[in-house]
Amino acid sequence: MKDEVKIILDICDKILLKNVDHHLRLNLEPNSTQFKTLKDEIISSELTKLLVKEDLGGAGMTLNDIIPIVHLSAQYGTPVPFIETIISNFLLSELNIKPENDFITLTNKTENIIIKKDKISGNFKSIPYLNLAEKILVETEINNQKYIILFKKGGKFKLQKNFLSEPKFDLDASDLEIISMMEKPEQIDVQNLLINIRSIQSFGAMEKILKLCIEYCSQRKQFGRTLSKFQMIQNHISEIALEVAASGASLSTLKNNNKNFYNLKSTAIPKIRTGIASGKVIALSHQVHGAMGFTKEYELSYFTKALNSWRNEFGNEIYWQNILGKLFLNQNKNLWEFLNH
Amino acid sequence: MTYFNFPHIEEDDNLKNLRNDVKSFLKTTFNSNNIKPQADAWMYSANPEFSKKLGEKGWLGMSFPKKYGGREKTMLERYVITEELLVAGAPVAAHWIADRQSGSQIIRYGTEEQKKEIIPKISSGECFFAIGMSEPDSGSDLASVKTFAKKTTDGWELTGRKIWSTGAHLSHYMIVLARTEKLDEKNRHSGLSQFLVNLKLPGVEINPIEDMTHQKHFNETVFNNVKLGKDALLGEEGLGWQQVVGELALERSGPERFLSHYILLDNFISEFRYKMSEMGITSLGKIISELQTLRMMSFSIAWMIQEKKSPDVQAAFVKEAGNVFEKKLIETIREMSNLIPFEEWSSSLKSLFQDATLRIPANSLRGGTSEIMRGIISKQLGLR
Repeated sequence: MKDEVKIILDICDKILLKNVDHHLRLNLEPNSTQFKTLKDEIISSELTKLLVKEDLGGAGMTLNDIIPIVHLSAQYGTPVPFIETIISNFLLSELNIKPENDFITLTNKTENIIIKKDKISGNFKSIPYLNLAEKILVETEINNQKYIILFKKGGKFKLQKNFLSEPKFDLDASDLEIISMMEKPEQIDVQNLLINIRSIQSFGAMEKILKLCIEYCSQRKQFGRTLSKFQMIQNHISEIALEVAASGASLSTLKNNNKNFYNLKSTAIPKIRTGIASGKVIALSHQVHGAMGFTKEYELSYFTKALNSWRNEFGNEIYWQNILGKLFLNQNKNLWEFLNH
Repeated sequence: MTYFNFPHIEEDDNLKNLRNDVKSFLKTTFNSNNIKPQADAWMYSANPEFSKKLGEKGWLGMSFPKKYGGREKTMLERYVITEELLVAGAPVAAHWIADRQSGSQIIRYGTEEQKKEIIPKISSGECFFAIGMSEPDSGSDLASVKTFAKKTTDGWELTGRKIWSTGAHLSHYMIVLARTEKLDEKNRHSGLSQFLVNLKLPGVEINPIEDMTHQKHFNETVFNNVKLGKDALLGEEGLGWQQVVGELALERSGPERFLSHYILLDNFISEFRYKMSEMGITSLGKIISELQTLRMMSFSIAWMIQEKKSPDVQAAFVKEAGNVFEKKLIETIREMSNLIPFEEWSSSLKSLFQDATLRIPANSLRGGTSEIMRGIISKQLGLR
C-alpha cells in the first residue's frame, strides 16, 4: 500500500471511529447533530475528492488506491453517501468538471428523461441516500448517446421497499436544475464501476460480520462455557472466515489495472464470488448469534441487510454467472487461455 | 482491520513468457514420448524419465541456491510451472513431493553435507521423496506419532510404521517425523525430530495399499530397527514439530489443491461447449469465478513464501477452499451436462469423470482433513 493511501486511511479511520455508531445508523436524520458533524468532517477533510485530478483540486488518487478506503467505510457501516460522493466526484473529474463540496448520490437507472433549457425531468430509480444528498449524478441515455448529468435535488421522492440498511429512493423529477451535463466518455462503464464498488463494500461488511461473530461467541456463555469453545460454532466461524478470505482475494482482478474496474470479466469474478460468500456469511452469522442477531438494536442485522441489498443489485450472482459463462464461450479460447488473459 | 490478507501479486511478462515456454515443452514432449494426460497426475502418474526431462529444463528445484544445484529462481516462477504441469495432466508424481516440500525442508534445516548430497539430485529430477508423517494410530493427531528414533553411539535406530506414504515404492528418501523423547502429555509437541531416511536401507519395508480405485499409489512403510547415521537428523533434535508445521504450509497451499481434475473440466468444455444449456453455462460461470479466486490466493501464498513470511493459515484456506471446489466440480459438471446424456460422452471423458468421482473423496483427507484446516483457522481467530 502506498504511503499516501496509508495516511488517508488513517484520517478516514479517525473520522469514522469518532462519528459512526449504531445509534447513528438507527437514527439517521438530515438535521441531526451527529449526521451534520460526520458530514462536515468528511467534506472538510476533502476525502470526497480523493479520485479528483490534482489540477481540479483533488488528491489525484486512482481507483485502485481507494479500494482500502471503500473497504474501511463498509466495515464501519457508514450510513451516509460518502462513497457515492467519492465516485460522483471522480466521474465529474473525468469530464474535467470541478468537484462538489456536498454529498452527491448517483444512479444509472433512469426512465423518461427529458432535457429542456438546462432542466431535467424524468424518473430515477434506486438512488441510495437521496434523503441525505444535495445533488444527484446520473448516467442516462438520450438519442443513443450516453450522458453524465449532475443536477440539484428536488421533486418528489419515495423510499423503496428494500433491505433497508441503505435507504434507496425513487425520484419523479420535474424541471430540476442541471449543474453539468457531458457526453459519457466511451472508456468509462458506470455500471461496472458501481458493481465493483459494491463488491469491495461487501468484502468490508463481511469482515465486520466476522469480527462481530468472534466477539459475540467469545463473550457469551452457554452450558458453562463460551460459545467459541463449541466445535460446531468454530466450524461456522471458520467457514465465514473462508468466505471472507476468498471474497478479498477475488478483488485481485481489479488491482492489475484501473481499467479493470470497467472490464466485464474483472467485474464478474468478484461480483459472483462476493455474492456467493454473502449468502453463506449471512446465514452462518445469524446462526452463531442466535436470537440476538435478529434484533434491531444489535448491529449484525445492519450488515447482513446491507449484504442482501448489494448482492441483489445489478443482477444477482446467478445472473452474472451466466454472463461470465457466455463471455468465455463466445471468445473461442480454451478455458486456461481465458483465465490467463 | 483485515483478518487474512492475500496480497495482490501481478503476473509479469517474464512469468507469462515462462508459461508459454512450459506449454511448448509439454506439447513437444507429450507428442514425442506418447504421454497421455491424466487427472490427479501428481498423485497417480509417475514417469521418472519425464521428471528427468523437467530437471534438464531447469524446472525442478527452482528456488534452491545454485551452489547446491538449484536454479535460484523465484517461487512465483515455480508456481507458474506447477500450474502449467497440472492443467496439462503431466506425469509429475515421481518428483512432486521432493520438489514441493522435501527439498525446501533440507534447504531450510539441512546440514551442508545433506544439501550437497541431495539437492542437486532433486533439481535434476533423479531423487524422489515420500512423506513420513501419518501413522496407523496417528492420522490428524500428528503429535501422537509413535515411531521412535533411539540415540545410539553411531547415530539413531528407527522403529515404527508410517502409513499413506504416497509414492514410497518409487522414492529414494522419506522425511520421517519421529519421537526422540517419550511423549509428554503436557507438552505434546516437544520431543519430536525429523530424519532423512534412505528407503533402501536394511530394515525398511514398503507394503503397497490398494485404494478404492484399485490403484497402488500409497503404502505402509515399516522401519524395523533401521540404523541411521548421525547425519540422518534433519534440523534440530526436538524441534520436529516446528519444522513440520512449515513443511505442511508448502504441502497445502499449491495449485494441486484445486487443479487436480482440471483436465476433466477442460475436456468437458472442449467436447460440449456448443451444447450446454443456459443452466450449464450458468454453472460454468460460477466455476470460473471460484477457480480464478483460488488461483489468486495460491499465487499470493507463493509470493509470501518467497518473501520468507509464514502463510500457514492462508495455506489452510487454500487447502480447504480447494477441497470444497474440487468436490463441487463433479456436481458442477453434472449440472453443465444436464441436457447431455452420459451415453453421449466420449469414452475418454467418461473415464476422466469416473476417475474423478472415485478419487475426489481423498482430496479433503490428504494433506490434512477439512476438520483440521478449520481447526487451524479457528485457532488463528482466537476461538481455541
